[in-house]
Amino acid sequence: MTLTATSFDWVRNLVHKESAIVLQPGKEYLVEARLLPIARQLGIPDVSEFVESVRSRPSPDSTRRIVEALTTNETSWFRDGDPFTAFTSTVLPALLAARGPNERLQIWSAACSSGQEPYTIAMLLEDALPNAASRVSITATDLSREMVERTKAGRFSQLEVNRGLPAPMLVRHFTRAGTEWEVAPNLRRMVTVSECNLAAPLPRMGPFDVVYLRNVLIYFDLPTKRSILSRVRSLMRPDGWLFLGAAETTLGVDDSWERVVIGRSSAYRPLKGA
Amino acid sequence: MSTIDTGQRRRSGDSRPVIPELIDEATIRSIAEDAWIALVGEEEILLPIPGELPDDVLSSWVDVVGPWTGTVVLTTGRQTAAELTRALLGDSAPEPLEPEDVTDAFGEIANVVGGNVKAALPGPSALSLPEVGSAPAVRNPADVCRVDVLWRGEPLTISVQGALPPLPVPHPHENGESL
Amino acid sequence: MRALVIDDSRAMRRIVSSTLENLGFEVNQAGHGGEGLDVLAGGWVPDLVTVDWNMPVMDGLQFVSAVRANPAWRAMTIMMVTSESEHTQIVRALAAGAHEYVIKPFTADALRDKLALLGLLPQEVAL
Ligand SMILES: C[S@@+](CC[C@H](N)C(=O)[O-])C[C@H]1O[C@@H](n2cnc3c(N)ncnc32)[C@H](O)[C@@H]1O
Ligand SMILES: [Mg+2]
Repeated sequence: MTLTATSFDWVRNLVHKESAIVLQPGKEYLVEARLLPIARQLGIPDVSEFVESVRSRPSPDSTRRIVEALTTNETSWFRDGDPFTAFTSTVLPALLAARGPNERLQIWSAACSSGQEPYTIAMLLEDALPNAASRVSITATDLSREMVERTKAGRFSQLEVNRGLPAPMLVRHFTRAGTEWEVAPNLRRMVTVSECNLAAPLPRMGPFDVVYLRNVLIYFDLPTKRSILSRVRSLMRPDGWLFLGAAETTLGVDDSWERVVIGRSSAYRPLKGA
Repeated sequence: MSTIDTGQRRRSGDSRPVIPELIDEATIRSIAEDAWIALVGEEEILLPIPGELPDDVLSSWVDVVGPWTGTVVLTTGRQTAAELTRALLGDSAPEPLEPEDVTDAFGEIANVVGGNVKAALPGPSALSLPEVGSAPAVRNPADVCRVDVLWRGEPLTISVQGALPPLPVPHPHENGESL
Repeated sequence: MRALVIDDSRAMRRIVSSTLENLGFEVNQAGHGGEGLDVLAGGWVPDLVTVDWNMPVMDGLQFVSAVRANPAWRAMTIMMVTSESEHTQIVRALAAGAHEYVIKPFTADALRDKLALLGLLPQEVAL
């Protein structure tokens, strides 16, 4: 049996309320595919039946599971390459020159998924700075508790380390743990992980020198994108740098940013006085 | 070489690990699942349900030689091995499929699963080239870790089995001998 | 761009070759390291070699060392594609002169990601 319109609408509203993720009509197949494994685990053969059972007696646990199941956690090491090349070639040298020797740089990976993005940054820092852990701290956050736990664990499957992680970095920064690979303790110490919903008021954090907010704005509507960009900006240093995903931009969303081209990539910086 | 049994040799032999101490079924299953998802197809799920193998089976295996020495054996029906070969080759599957195609592809799957099993065991160890035929016999029932799954409804087993016979049980009066 | 795919399994050769062909490579194949060296010595010098580790006659590690001993083949990028996946093995392959290392099982996306890292994606595909 397919998902009924009522069930789909209820899920769609729930997910929007809890995460701001927009599920357009037509995404019924996605809801079905993502919820079916959960329903099966609970011994319920049908997605609509599962949704109705949660709807009639919602609990924080069951609604959370639904919302988390509808996040897309696709990620990889050095995703798109250029935003990380720009970091080491331009952003990091500029920040090191601008900050005092005792000032700690603060970097935020704002939708970190299973951790590839924050640990990519940590590896770059570890390779670039002699005392990285004392000079930089990385904050990694995600809406999904499961992703937060995965990032904390810092363990990656064989298939995951195959996705874009250069072999010399794999052998330098990881050890084998059974069938998985575990990121080195010195990199884990650089990264602090917590839950954070970008669509809700943000906790006190930062101020950040660099923010990676990549491949997450695409899931939101225009007003949500705008308010997230403004909230993120309020947690950034005035001379900070923001990296968005390849399909994302501030242009036409929030004009208080200046777009800076760095090599083949671009970053955004808070406009002065905006 | 002296053949005098000092008791010393036996004791060091006693510490020879058997496979259930080194790897569990969940690990073997996850290695196989990853191999299937990556090579056979994203939707190719291995259900952890035992089934009855048909009479006409084919096995492929690789040897692991190291701190633990044994064999990683995949066994399934000959038909299923052929279907697996087609799924692996996708669009480039030759038509008709020759027996050598099946030998080659099923052997390569043993190489992929075996290489990853080896990496999960204490090393260093060496991996042999794959062989295909009828499975090598189990030498020591205590030195086997076996996983049964269904792929597209057909049974398939993955057995990680030691190559050495069980050690002789020491005589009781030898226990407690000093080192 | 040209690629030489070396693996003793023809199924694996087909899988790797078809991914590379889809990315625009012209592909040649060899069944072990010795055959690979023959292709190179015959004057067909590729931009990329993908090479398995466990093969009869000449294994992948021996092949990498042989290639690295010949200065004429400096420019060639070598990527191991193998089920050997212990930490020490990867270190050995890199020390012998392999540039990248893909662990079997891999997906087409994984191969593509590695080629992007190596700057070996044809421009129109990289966009
Ligand atoms: C496609 S992943 C992007 C991961 C990484 N930044 C990258 O570029 O590869 C999107 C992530 O955004 C998270 N996410 C979705 N909605 C969110 C929200 N409202 N607040 C915080 N994170 C959210 C999801 O849980 C998911 O892990
Ligand atoms: Mg091989």
